[in-house]
Amino acid sequence: MAKMLAKVKGRLRRFLERPASVELTKYEALLPKIADREEDIAKLSDEELTSRVGKLRASERELADDELVEFCALAREAAKRALDERPYDVQLLGVMGMLSGHVVQMATGEGKTLAGALTAAGFAVRGKRVHVISVNDYLAKRDAEWMRPVYELLGVSVGYVGEKVSAEHRREAYASEVCYGSVSEIGFDLLRDRLVTKAEDQVQVPNPAAVALVDEADSVLVDEAKVPLVMAGSAEGVERDADMAEIVRRLRAGVHYEEDEDGRNAWLTPSGAKAVEKALGGVDLYAEDSPYLAAVNVALHAHALLERDVDYIVRDNKVQLINTSRGRIAALQRWPDGLQAAVEAKEAVAATESGEVLDSITVQALIARYPKVAGMTGTAVAVAEQLREFYKLEVAVIAPNKPCIREDELTRLYTTEEAKEDALIKEIVATHETGRPILVGTLDVAESERIAKRLSENDLACVVLNAKNDAEEAAIVAEAGAYNAITVSTQMAGRGTDIRLGGHDEADHDKVAELGGLYVIGTGHYPSSRLDDQLRGRAGRQGDPGGSVFFSSMEDEQLAQYAPEVQLHVLKEPPGEDGLIKDKTARAFVAHAQRVAEGVELEIHRNTWRYTRLIEQQRDIIMEHRDKILHSDVADTLFEKHAPERHKELVEELGAEIVAEAARQILLYHLDRRWVDHLGYTSDVRETVHLRALAKETPIDEFHRAVVPAFNQIVPEAHETAIASFDTVKIGENGAELEEAGLKRPTSTWTYMVYDNPWDSDAEQALKKVRAHVKKVKAER
Amino acid sequence: MLGAFRSALATPDLRKKILFTLGIIVLYRVGALLPSPGVSYPNVQKCIANVQQDGIYSLLNLFSGGALLQLSVFALGIMPYITASIIIQLLTVVIPRFEQLKKEGQAGQGKLTQYTRYLTIALAILQATGIVALADRGQLFGECQDDIIPGDKIFTLILIVITMTAGTAVIMWLGELITERGIGNGMSLLMFVNIAARIPYEGKIIWDKGPITFTVICLFGLAIIASVVFMEQGQRRIPVQYAKRMIGRRMYGGTSTYLPLKVNQAGVIPVIFASSLLYLPDLISRLIGGSQDSGWQRFIQQYLVQQDSWVHILVYFALIIFFTYFYITITFNVNERAEEMRKFGGFIPGIRPGRPTSEYLNFVLQRITLPGSIYLGIIAILPNFFLSVTGTGNNQNFPFGGTAVLIMVGVGLDTVKQIESQLMQRNYEGFLR
Repeated sequence: MAKMLAKVKGRLRRFLERPASVELTKYEALLPKIADREEDIAKLSDEELTSRVGKLRASERELADDELVEFCALAREAAKRALDERPYDVQLLGVMGMLSGHVVQMATGEGKTLAGALTAAGFAVRGKRVHVISVNDYLAKRDAEWMRPVYELLGVSVGYVGEKVSAEHRREAYASEVCYGSVSEIGFDLLRDRLVTKAEDQVQVPNPAAVALVDEADSVLVDEAKVPLVMAGSAEGVERDADMAEIVRRLRAGVHYEEDEDGRNAWLTPSGAKAVEKALGGVDLYAEDSPYLAAVNVALHAHALLERDVDYIVRDNKVQLINTSRGRIAALQRWPDGLQAAVEAKEAVAATESGEVLDSITVQALIARYPKVAGMTGTAVAVAEQLREFYKLEVAVIAPNKPCIREDELTRLYTTEEAKEDALIKEIVATHETGRPILVGTLDVAESERIAKRLSENDLACVVLNAKNDAEEAAIVAEAGAYNAITVSTQMAGRGTDIRLGGHDEADHDKVAELGGLYVIGTGHYPSSRLDDQLRGRAGRQGDPGGSVFFSSMEDEQLAQYAPEVQLHVLKEPPGEDGLIKDKTARAFVAHAQRVAEGVELEIHRNTWRYTRLIEQQRDIIMEHRDKILHSDVADTLFEKHAPERHKELVEELGAEIVAEAARQILLYHLDRRWVDHLGYTSDVRETVHLRALAKETPIDEFHRAVVPAFNQIVPEAHETAIASFDTVKIGENGAELEEAGLKRPTSTWTYMVYDNPWDSDAEQALKKVRAHVKKVKAER
Repeated sequence: MLGAFRSALATPDLRKKILFTLGIIVLYRVGALLPSPGVSYPNVQKCIANVQQDGIYSLLNLFSGGALLQLSVFALGIMPYITASIIIQLLTVVIPRFEQLKKEGQAGQGKLTQYTRYLTIALAILQATGIVALADRGQLFGECQDDIIPGDKIFTLILIVITMTAGTAVIMWLGELITERGIGNGMSLLMFVNIAARIPYEGKIIWDKGPITFTVICLFGLAIIASVVFMEQGQRRIPVQYAKRMIGRRMYGGTSTYLPLKVNQAGVIPVIFASSLLYLPDLISRLIGGSQDSGWQRFIQQYLVQQDSWVHILVYFALIIFFTYFYITITFNVNERAEEMRKFGGFIPGIRPGRPTSEYLNFVLQRITLPGSIYLGIIAILPNFFLSVTGTGNNQNFPFGGTAVLIMVGVGLDTVKQIESQLMQRNYEGFLR
């Protein structure tokens, strides 16, 4: 009876604490059975173990319950032998949850990497190839190497891809049953594969894999979901204007140009336009197809809105972006092309290549290609709704192996930024005196540097993490739990690496634990409570003690932007001498601002997806068509039918094979050209389509009406022009000589991601709502 | 278009939506024919048959699909809601708080919708009371002496008012259901249904005049519908460029990036305003006294109420043109538009941003509104020339002219467009999965 009562109580608690999560009781019931087999399996030799796993390969169905028991028991033994780590029950529960296609929430330090590996193996033994998608190349490589012995014991092949590996290595890795890779690398490979002109150049074959297993699922599926991965190629007619940067530099804010309060837009005033026109030698900026205006606009944007050392740094004579949301240098990122060049001109550094977008894919669309998706993360419940809406994924919560005893303090709110920072430093100094390790999480790079400076003024040594490479970062973070350590880090730094108390070897574990474990201090709230939780989660690993606190001030940007009404609020009791505010309502505003920020973010995501969905569908159709051309002789048949004489002539002269290949190259060129133009067309339409509302039309409907017919033209037009080319282009021993006919493919291609597209009109629409609100409040003041 | 419908019905998702919409419409028509409690159905029918309507309520009756004079549960139709939305829309110009709400996007719009609903209920109570009072006094049908509400107890009257008000609330809900889960804009569709429901009845009247008249009128009607379709689709597309991207310095959008201005930017609202305003003098003179003797009352009767009088037609026409300009001026803010374009780097080729752009927009808008307003006026007064065929006082009910045709065509076009767009998208999805 008491047992039943406890069970009901447990269920009720779970229900209240974790809304939107699926039940795993079914799998919990299997755990004793798995334990029962442990003894027998321990007696098997390594070879016997591998061959027993091999027996599960007989079928391709999902693992039934008894097979699941068998697999988990074997997997546990394999992990024990290979890594000397016996997976806990909760880890196996996670494995079973993921095998059933859920996103599991497991706290930091619970062994997600191992659980992920066992899951991937579980899919692999049923004949499904798995891509394990992680956040960066370092983690992909580390995990693949680390887990390799386990995979070997289970008889599953494994590989990894990274930015710097060769095509041969890639092909091999993708051919293995389990392939580790960062989300950007896997996406870029997909984009590159779509542009090859020879079938044997593709690396992801066959494509796509059956399963995507996403590590840090919230980060990949939500934070990065709308990030487009872009493939660009050099194009003619793109040259940059060093003069333009010079002209714009002479303009004065307020007189020649104006900008938004929140620094998202800048525009010329009439007198500014006149000044620019004069400098350019009396041209009309606003004439039809004016070649200058776009250049002026990007130059102005670069000049007025992008600040060196805040938005980007200049290093090794190169402009490198700072990813403000992660607070680190983003090596793979660029601004959309013209802007990148403008910033380079502004800083007078060597211009990198610039050209046109050949293709792009969002992370969300990339993930949607996999028939089955599963994932794991420390914070999934907060995004459960979004995972359901955008991916049809359910979240399963796995209780930690040992209950978490971390103490989370209430946010400390101060009147001014200054008071906050003073208090923050004081708190660090006071805590450090005891020797307790401290991890300070900052909002951006500049802040982390400021704090490090102030700490050194107080004669405190600290390690700053913001712009290093991933591998170094992991090593530093691993030491953050050491006695006396102070680490200042931006949000994402070192994610995926455990912070063990007493350093990576846990030498001083007990000593540090006695002091209260790792103390995490956030210098401000992140745009979502989930990111806050990620930071907090660095402490209190595996039942260790730990503590966390966030500092905030009434001047915080988030508060000012999303809850401006807080300024109107009259404090019930005056702030303390150090500026600490105890007023409950004021503190409630802090959480409110965060929720508004989350709402805006979601709205942007939803809207972007509404527009990109159609393009993604069109891309799939085109790529299917392209694949057909690449792998069969569709092109040859086409020409044989429409230009029979020329075809016959050529075949007699050069042989069927060369002609077929030439035909393929010609058709591919024209198809790719049309697709690039189509992408340009859609983004142009997209930019102005909101104006259709003026004629009482629905923008999204009108977008479809404009884009669908244009798309339907692509294939027929490509065929038509290709047939024309087939007649005119010289075809010799070396195939079609396209370049001679002026049909040049880009001489070089490169890939990058766009994080915060400053010209994204959706972001504008969503922000406008908030802005209107802000203005209202300001007016009331 | 028929092909589009066929494939729409072949798409399961879309079929469900269309059937849902049809279901709601059927429900709505049933309510429009269901008499309110306490109303004597046979007497009402007798009165309707006997009496030529005389104008005051003809517009209301049109919008309620004939339900008004039937004194049915849905007697008030969607007219209270339409009036309320127009009032709220106008108030957004006057009241700063409403203006802010409008700008706040979804959340603010929700608040405005909430206000519109409250106002609808208030208006419904007002109108229901008015109609019930008229019916009780036997004035609703003029000469007709049959007792429409036999019970005559105050309780019965209150019950009818409550029923009609509740009916209005239900109609609002039905409309929103269509918007949410069906196809098209619910409110507009219900209005469409109301007007379409009158066509057989009006057709019968014309048929009775003889088959030749009927054929001529039908042909004429088709010509009007065709021209309305043509004018409603008419747009002035001002090319707009957003010069921010520099990808090979090529402009792709071509003819697809533009700022559209409709020839009939104001829609049907000026006509409704004008006809409402024209009824006012008649209403006032009736309220003041039954005798029609004094000079100004006779003047009103002769020149403003008589729909075939030239004064009436000219005043009506002039009012429509005035209200078209009036409505466009308050709803289309050229300065705001120009400012927004400038901020986001957009411009009209050949025109400088800021003031010159707003002046240009204003110029085009004024120019395009002139033919637009004349077109509206002509369509609205057309039925007045057919009074000998349709009977006096029926100008608004004539299904091929005036408000009726404007609304029907507008709603029809919108709905078909929406189906088409959904179909385009669905086809891909169906193709892929």
